[in-house]
Amino acid sequence: MSNIAGKAYAMNVVTPAKWYWVWVNKLFFWFVQLPGGAAYLKGLLTLSLIHYARWAIVSPKEFPHLDESQPKEKLKYSYMFFFSNFNGSWDQYVDSFHAAIPQGLDLFWFKNVKYPKSVPLQPFHAYITYNQIWTSHYYSAYPLATSNDIKSARHLTRELRAFSESSARADPLEFHEAYQRLLRDVQQDISIMERTPIVSLSAQAVEQRLDQADAERADQ
Amino acid sequence: MSIDLQDIQGNIVKGYAQYDYPKARYVFYHIRNEVAGRAFVKGIAPLVTTGIPWNKKAKPNAADAPPPATTNIAFTYMGLKMLGVPRKSLQTFPEEFVMGMKLRKDILGDDGPSDPRHWDRIWRDTSVHLWISINGRDPASIETRYQEISHLVAESDGGIIQLSGHHGPDGSTDLPYQSASLIYKNGIPQAREHFGYRDGIGEPYFMASSGHPNRVIGGGKPTRGDPATRKGWEPLETGEFILGHRDEAFETPIAPQPPLLAFNGTFMVYRKLHENVGSFNRYLDTVGENYPGGKELLAAKFSGRWRSSGAPVTRFPTNATAETFEFQLNEAEARLYAERENPSKEAKEAYVALRTQMAAFDYNHDLEGSRCPLGAHIRRINPRGALEHGKEAFNTPGALTNRRRILRRGLPYGEVADDSRDDGDHGIIFIAINASISRQFEFVQQQWINYGNDFKLANDKDPLTGNHGVDSNQQPTGRMILQGNSTATENPFFCAGIPRFVETRGGDYFFIPSLTALHMLSNGTVDPT
Amino acid sequence: MMDIIRVLVTGLLRRWYDNLRNLLTGTRPPAGAAGLTVLCPIINDSDGNQSHVMALRQHLQDLPLHENSPMAAVPNTYLCRFYILNDVFYQGAPAEEEHLKSKYLVYSTNFHGDLDSYLSGMWEHAQESIRQVWRHCVAFENVRTTADFVAYMKKCQVRNHLFFNGSTGDPLNRQLKSLYLKQEFSRFVYDHQNTPPEDLQRAFQAFIARTQPGNPDSPTWVAGADTESIKT
Ligand code: HEM
Repeated sequence: MSNIAGKAYAMNVVTPAKWYWVWVNKLFFWFVQLPGGAAYLKGLLTLSLIHYARWAIVSPKEFPHLDESQPKEKLKYSYMFFFSNFNGSWDQYVDSFHAAIPQGLDLFWFKNVKYPKSVPLQPFHAYITYNQIWTSHYYSAYPLATSNDIKSARHLTRELRAFSESSARADPLEFHEAYQRLLRDVQQDISIMERTPIVSLSAQAVEQRLDQADAERADQ
Repeated sequence: MSIDLQDIQGNIVKGYAQYDYPKARYVFYHIRNEVAGRAFVKGIAPLVTTGIPWNKKAKPNAADAPPPATTNIAFTYMGLKMLGVPRKSLQTFPEEFVMGMKLRKDILGDDGPSDPRHWDRIWRDTSVHLWISINGRDPASIETRYQEISHLVAESDGGIIQLSGHHGPDGSTDLPYQSASLIYKNGIPQAREHFGYRDGIGEPYFMASSGHPNRVIGGGKPTRGDPATRKGWEPLETGEFILGHRDEAFETPIAPQPPLLAFNGTFMVYRKLHENVGSFNRYLDTVGENYPGGKELLAAKFSGRWRSSGAPVTRFPTNATAETFEFQLNEAEARLYAERENPSKEAKEAYVALRTQMAAFDYNHDLEGSRCPLGAHIRRINPRGALEHGKEAFNTPGALTNRRRILRRGLPYGEVADDSRDDGDHGIIFIAINASISRQFEFVQQQWINYGNDFKLANDKDPLTGNHGVDSNQQPTGRMILQGNSTATENPFFCAGIPRFVETRGGDYFFIPSLTALHMLSNGTVDPT
Repeated sequence: MMDIIRVLVTGLLRRWYDNLRNLLTGTRPPAGAAGLTVLCPIINDSDGNQSHVMALRQHLQDLPLHENSPMAAVPNTYLCRFYILNDVFYQGAPAEEEHLKSKYLVYSTNFHGDLDSYLSGMWEHAQESIRQVWRHCVAFENVRTTADFVAYMKKCQVRNHLFFNGSTGDPLNRQLKSLYLKQEFSRFVYDHQNTPPEDLQRAFQAFIARTQPGNPDSPTWVAGADTESIKT
């Protein structure tokens, strides 16, 4: 039971919206994915706290129905399912969005039932907390990495491979010069990953208990 | 809305050191019983220094005359409990305050030599309830005030205990209070700490701040205007530092109940930070030898300001520019000192102009960090608009920084007997004031000092104050990159093996009540119903 | 507003143009990061002395973590999660109060590649663990083959209206290899700040021989490991 996997936090929020408003949400989601519409995601990209996030709107008849044994859902609202994989604590994430891109946030949750808007902060906190669902199992392929690390690693790798090929036959002095050039090109990518800072003391306590239980199981 | 400065404790709005109070004594108490506790607080209340603006020319006993010594008071959670604050009210205090600093060690990175096990005895073995600070112009004024307070303690008949257990010079471990003082050179107090940096420059400027209006430059929150002028900045909202007022989230901050208990009060962090001066000097000497810019530039890159002048390295990137600035600053300060009885307008203006330059910058022309490294102390701790990475992508450039500011109110303590050694008892009594300890102080300490993801530096830490570790061979593992300039073909420089220069030696979290709340606490009339 | 219209129009034109060009040239956009969201109804009955939903929740809660998670075996999984949607939340008056008739297992995964290959890989590499989870869901007993599984998941799939990629869309093995290289090269750089050219070149060659930047699978980081753990 955990919303945390290393440096990533899994947030799930499920909120109702009237069927006629969700068309506006859908239009907006569609719009920002157009080439050029991405300018509206600039804030999100600059915040650089997210690995991947998504919004899925499920209308009453879109709830999967598999066979006769399962009763059909009878709902009036559509539901917006939000999933995020972000780096840092809940507060850091929610507060950063509220402060950096409040208008964008209000478009994402536009007209959801009782959505209080992202400013001021306390009602927004209460809304997210009330509608958040805890994750039962969360997996990250790279608990030591943030999305910043993954992006910088990609850049570094490309440059490093190119350098390794182009410098293969250089003499030591040429090599040294090219190496310095490489370092200037990748200076923003040179940093070392270690374990995450503790996101919360209660999460840390849970993790310690689980580790302990694991160790005991291993002993047996 | 105007703010009632007489209801606010003076240490919130004034850094006393800048008002010619170079020395302080911090005294801690334990409350044995509620009645004695309340009587003691009642006795202290009239002595408490408020935020009223001082008039140097006022008659000695006038309300706005600067007192010979100031007095301020604050409480830990246990202290409030001992005073009989009702449970319903106690439950409205924030988690980190209730827990206290020791139990937050894993958030704060107080590990290894900074672990609470190694703290001064007062923080290990006892329960601190109450803090009193006395700042003074001279030791005698401090002693007089201290005696007055000690008299109240004596009257409590054992109901109040003054806690000893502060470590001091010469191996003493049971001093009755913590002394602190600016460092003196040729008999003149210096705004400097033990590593040799000029200190006390950066200071948040908010709606209720006093002082020259130019202090908004660099002290306020960044707008998109020119950072060299007042257009580039706006005062922060008062609620970032004082409860009951509008904050940067466009609301009144979360605060304890009842409202009057919190209104005009705030939270304080007290932290005794030891400085390993020998390690610091050795590191500068050895690595400075290989660093093309030399030792002083290396020191400047660590902090973001030149050691001797405090000039920001992003604005004064070379030794030569920094020296010219320092020369001018010294002249202006000498003139002001010479005219201290009756300073001329020109002398004041010349000084203010230079002082403003020290704060009038952001990092938009230094996004790469080739002047001020991305990991430098002041760039980490107050990135100004730098977390936008030059993109103008946020609602406001300070979106990620405006709610992370803190007022610093501490002073250095101890003396460095031998600057090639780490031992002894010297460092900084770090005091931070903020409306939320977790959102402001703890966030900065955890995310910006002991971690680096917001600066795209993975797990790199603040070179000066980070809790650098050691590897399996006990070799220090701290590191820092001094970015180069990719267009001017200036190479980056990689500092490896940085040891832990700063270690925690104790501290706790406190609530600073307003004068009104102090009155309610002393009468036992706090009632959240 | 004008701004929005402009973006809308140019965006639409660009998209039509791109589609047309892809159609004509037969190229497909490169597969990057994708998200799958599935809501699988949980059997509303008991499973021995527990209800299915309880049993499933406890099973999920007790799954081993990090590199021992069953999901670590699923190729190209960046980050994924399971939760149980018990019901929808009543927002309080004057909002309508309504309730779900089924509880759902919500599986949300972020992966590289196209959905069919991902789901097939999931079945082929973690079939036993998948059965342990999905056996609590309606109609899963009919799933026997890879094709059944892919079809089942697609039936439970709901559409993502916006998928935001704040990272990269590289295959997982490339992401892990780059992280490994970033870590190792950063150490190399710190260790060789003052190394003279000849020694530096030699050290670098040794570094390349050891880390094999061209080999995406070895040496590299172990998927899911929460401490630095290298696979050779
Ligand atoms: C012994 C430990 C420390 C030393 C030697 C130190 C040193 C310095 C120096 C030299 C400056 C630049 C001068 C100035 O702007 O006043 C500075 C600024 C500052 N420091 Fe520290 N510091 C220490 C601990 C801390 C800690 C623990 C924090 C916060 C958690 C902190 C927060 C700040 C802030 C907020 C500024 C002002 C930045 C600005 O607004 O421009 N310092 N410090």
